[in-house]
This record gives sequence, structure tokens and C-alpha cells, in this order.
Amino acid sequence: MNTLRDFMKVEGGDLNKEQVKFTSQHRFQSPALVVGWSEDIGRLGPKVIDLLNKKLGCEEFYQIEPAGFFPFDGVAVEGNVAQFPESRFYCSQKHDLVIFKSALPRYEWHKFLNSVLDVAGRCKVKEIYTVGGIASLIAHTDPRRITTVVNRPKLKEMLREYGLETDMNYETPPGGAPTLSSYLLWVAKRRNIPGANLWGEVPFYLAALEDPRAWKRALGFFDERFSLGISLEELDEEVERQTEKIERARIRDPEVDEYIGKLERAGKLTWNDSEKLVKKIEEFLRS
Amino acid sequence: MGIKLYEEPKLEKPILLATWPGIGRIGIIAIDYLRKAIKAEEFGQIEPWDFFYPKKVSIRAGQLEDLKFPSSKFYFTRTDKKDLVLFIGEEQPTGGGYANGGKAYQLANLVLDVAQKFDCQRVYTSGAAVAPIHHTARPGVWAVPNTKRLIDEVKEYDNTIIMSEIEGREGQGNISGLNGLLLGVAKRRGLDAVCLLGEIPFYLQSPVPLSRPIVYPKASKSVLEVLSQILEIRIDLSGLDDSAHRVEEKIEELYKQIPSQIKSGLEKLKHVSRAKELGPITKEEMKDFKEHFDEYFKGFYESGGRRFE
Repeated sequence: MNTLRDFMKVEGGDLNKEQVKFTSQHRFQSPALVVGWSEDIGRLGPKVIDLLNKKLGCEEFYQIEPAGFFPFDGVAVEGNVAQFPESRFYCSQKHDLVIFKSALPRYEWHKFLNSVLDVAGRCKVKEIYTVGGIASLIAHTDPRRITTVVNRPKLKEMLREYGLETDMNYETPPGGAPTLSSYLLWVAKRRNIPGANLWGEVPFYLAALEDPRAWKRALGFFDERFSLGISLEELDEEVERQTEKIERARIRDPEVDEYIGKLERAGKLTWNDSEKLVKKIEEFLRS
Repeated sequence: MGIKLYEEPKLEKPILLATWPGIGRIGIIAIDYLRKAIKAEEFGQIEPWDFFYPKKVSIRAGQLEDLKFPSSKFYFTRTDKKDLVLFIGEEQPTGGGYANGGKAYQLANLVLDVAQKFDCQRVYTSGAAVAPIHHTARPGVWAVPNTKRLIDEVKEYDNTIIMSEIEGREGQGNISGLNGLLLGVAKRRGLDAVCLLGEIPFYLQSPVPLSRPIVYPKASKSVLEVLSQILEIRIDLSGLDDSAHRVEEKIEELYKQIPSQIKSGLEKLKHVSRAKELGPITKEEMKDFKEHFDEYFKGFYESGGRRFE
């Protein structure tokens, strides 16, 4: 068992003291690390992290200094409040779980991801999971699938037992770029740390909004995987509230009803109809 | 941040030929053509992750197979007269702007670290010189050394001019990106270097997306003609002639569509034998022509025009 205070005593270790700020002392056995980025489709990553932190009573124990990774040309204002990029580690000693939530760094991705894995290495993390949303051509009433990408074949077999999709084929299309989560998985592979990206389906018209059904699905996986014993009831209520709101939108606007109905019957929408649906749902749910 | 050498070939005072992509991909086409022609062997690379973001992920059956980055590779060969080290960078680092700031400087230093490890005595880079020439003309090569001592030498190369010979420049200019920066970093290290800039007609320096860059192999050929003289090697350039011909056909296709007023202005350039004779058209006309050409390029690509390759 090692403590974070030990980390700072190690000479010539991987941990860069300038980049990783020590804040308190905790003990770990061989924890898993769950990673979520603050900006995400359907707010899946940040919400799952926040819910895990809240439900497990996690404590913050570490943060990565933002200098060199984020622009300092001012601050963003969101919801009338000035923001600042944060990259924080939390943990639940009881559940032997480490959690990392961060804004997406703008610069030096490789160095940043290595800083994350330096902390993971010191915590003796045994496996890493990233959780993020992926926009999908499904209706909000459809069940949410989680597709996983692993950096070790063994993990794939294990994850299949939890009902995750494990046979994804993908290549970055021309003009596209790999995600930070894929990059983390690759760096972890090079450092011999098993890991998986979990991509939760989010109906495309909820991509810029919230998707409690996807949160519940992802949280349910972590609950089962780590035997956390957390209650998902409050998420059922959120799912119900959102479904009711969208039902009202369907009643009020026949076009919305037609588009969603088509998706529910596994039909396809044209590009124009998809754009219209996104606009109408966003306007309705934000009003 | 590292250099990875797979082997350390024994080389005698090699010449370094280094290039990164730029306007018309002139330098990179030239050096890559040379690499293949002289069958240079890859012997190392600069690890990409501190300079570049990944450009492609491959996932097969749910398993992350690979993450690909732009490459920065070293090659070597021994010719009858000279030993050569080639460096080809697939992209220029963008940290802090296009080939700007600390990343470009670090990369340039790593390239020269390898060059000097092998006791390299001379560096050549290659890029593009945007010039008032017609696309039917044979492009000249602007030669920019990093020390006065080399001026007389570069004047001796065929089809080559120096900055002071170009009207209105008075020996002044700017070489953007790493093909220029490497000269400066070499100068700082006391290493002689020359940049060979193949001329590209100013109206072909279009605002096309980076993913669909215009290529101008005719200028690459001019650069290679100069390099073959410097390196005292014979290179079969017929492969470049073929690509130059294909590109010229596409340029002609576009050229036919431009208004006669613009075309007659550009036609004046056909009578210019060298870029240093700015004579037939004014700077204002050049600006005007280029703007019109840019519009036509945009239309050409938007209507599904084929790539200039």
C-alpha cells in the first residue's frame, strides 16, 4: 500500500512535481481509474463522474496544474460565471476507485496524458476506463448501448459479460482526428496499463443537451463492475422528467412527433429533417 | 522528446537535405523523388508526440490497433561522390501557429543534432518561391544561403537566382516555415546551409484547403536539377515530367475558364524569361489576378474538381 505523500518522496520518479499538484494523502490497493472530460456529448462523461463522486463520497486528492496545457488568454464565462480549466483527481478509498475529471487540454496532449498516467501509475491503477458520449441515430426512448474499445484483448472478453458492444471497427475519416480518449488508451497501452474507452450512445438531438438515460446506463455499468451498491433511482426520475418534456414537444409539434416516431421505428431522417429536429428539441428543452 | 535511430551508418561528412511541406509541396516532392531515385534507406525518426497530434486511429473488432502521427524520418545513402542524409517531415508542427514558436525551433534543433552527430558539413532545404511567372514557363530556383561566403557559390548553380537579383527586393525576403527556420538554426550552430526555392506562379498559390493542396512538380524538377548539379549525381527526372504534365493539363483546364481580361494580363507573363523581370504586370495587377484566380479555384473545387496531383 502506498500513500500520495510517498509519491513526492520518490526521487527521479515519473511524477513531474511542476505539473501535478499534491493536495492530500490517501491509500490505495490496486484501484481502477475512471476518466471523464468536462465537455461531452449528452454531458455523459462529466455527469457520470460527478455522480460517482457524489454517491461514493469521493475526496479530491490531486490536480494537474493547467500551465502549458490550457490557453491563458482570458476566461470563459458559462451560466454567468467565469470558468477556469480544472484537471482533478478524486478517490474513494472504500471502493478503491480513482476518478479523474478534466477540461479538454488545448496543448501538449502527450505530456498531459502522461501526467495523468504518472498519477495512475503511482496509485498502482490496474485498469483505466474513459467514459464519453457518441451521437447516435436513435430515439430517446430507445435503450442505450455502450460500445467499448480496449487496448488488451482480455478486457474485451470481460466487458462483453457486462453487455457492452465489443466489436467496433473504425478508422478516422479524412479531415477527422482521434479523440483524447483514444489517445489516452494508446498511451496507456504503451505504458502497459490495460484500459477501455466506453462510448455511450446519445440520441443525436440530445447531443448538446443532457441524456440521463445514457448516464444511467454508464453508471449502471460501473456499479456492477466495481460492486459499488449505488442507487440509480434519482436517474429514473430524471429520465422520466425528460421523457415527459419531449412528449409535450411531440404533442405540440407534429413534425417533432413524426421525426422521433420514424427513429423509433428504426427509420432514417434526411439531413435537413435531422437538423430541424435538433433545433426544435433544443429550443423546447431550453425554454 | 526524442530521436530514434535504428542504426548508425558510417558516413563521411554527409550533406543533409531536409524538407517539410509548404506551398505547392515543391520541396517535399523534390526530396522524396530523390529519396526513391537514390534508394536511400530509412535509419531513424523523430518521435512525433511532442510535436504533433495523432491524425488517425484504427480500431479493429473493438481493439485499438494503432494511432498514427505525422512522420519525421531520416534516410541515408552513399553516392559515388558524396554521402547524403535526407530528412523528410510529413507535416510542420503547429504549436503556437503554423511552423511557429518553440515547437518548430525544437524540431529544427533535433534535425541538426542528427546531422551533426554524423559530422554533416552542409545543409540544403527546399521550398517554394511565389513568383510572377506563367505556368508554361520553366520555373527558376531562388537560392538563399545562410552566410555571405556562399553567395558566389550559389550564383554558379544553373537556373538559379539570388534575392538581390529580383527586382524590387534588394536582397530582402522571408522564407516561412521550417524550410527557412532550419537555415537560421544552422547559422546559429555555424553550419553552412542553403534553401532552394522552386518558383510557382503567384496565381497558383491558392487558398485551397490543406487537405487538398496544389502540387507543382515542375518546380520540384527545377530544384532537383540544381541539386543534381550540387551533388554531382545523375537523376532520371522523367517521372517528375509525367506528374508535371498531368498537373499542367489541369491548370490549363482551369485557365480556359477564366475571363479573357484576366487571361490577357497573365499572358504577358509568357514573355518573361526570369522572375527578376517583373516588367509586364504591376503589383496591383498581380493582386487582382490572384484574387480572381482564387475565386476560380474555389469554384473548381466546390464543383468537384480533381486534385492537382
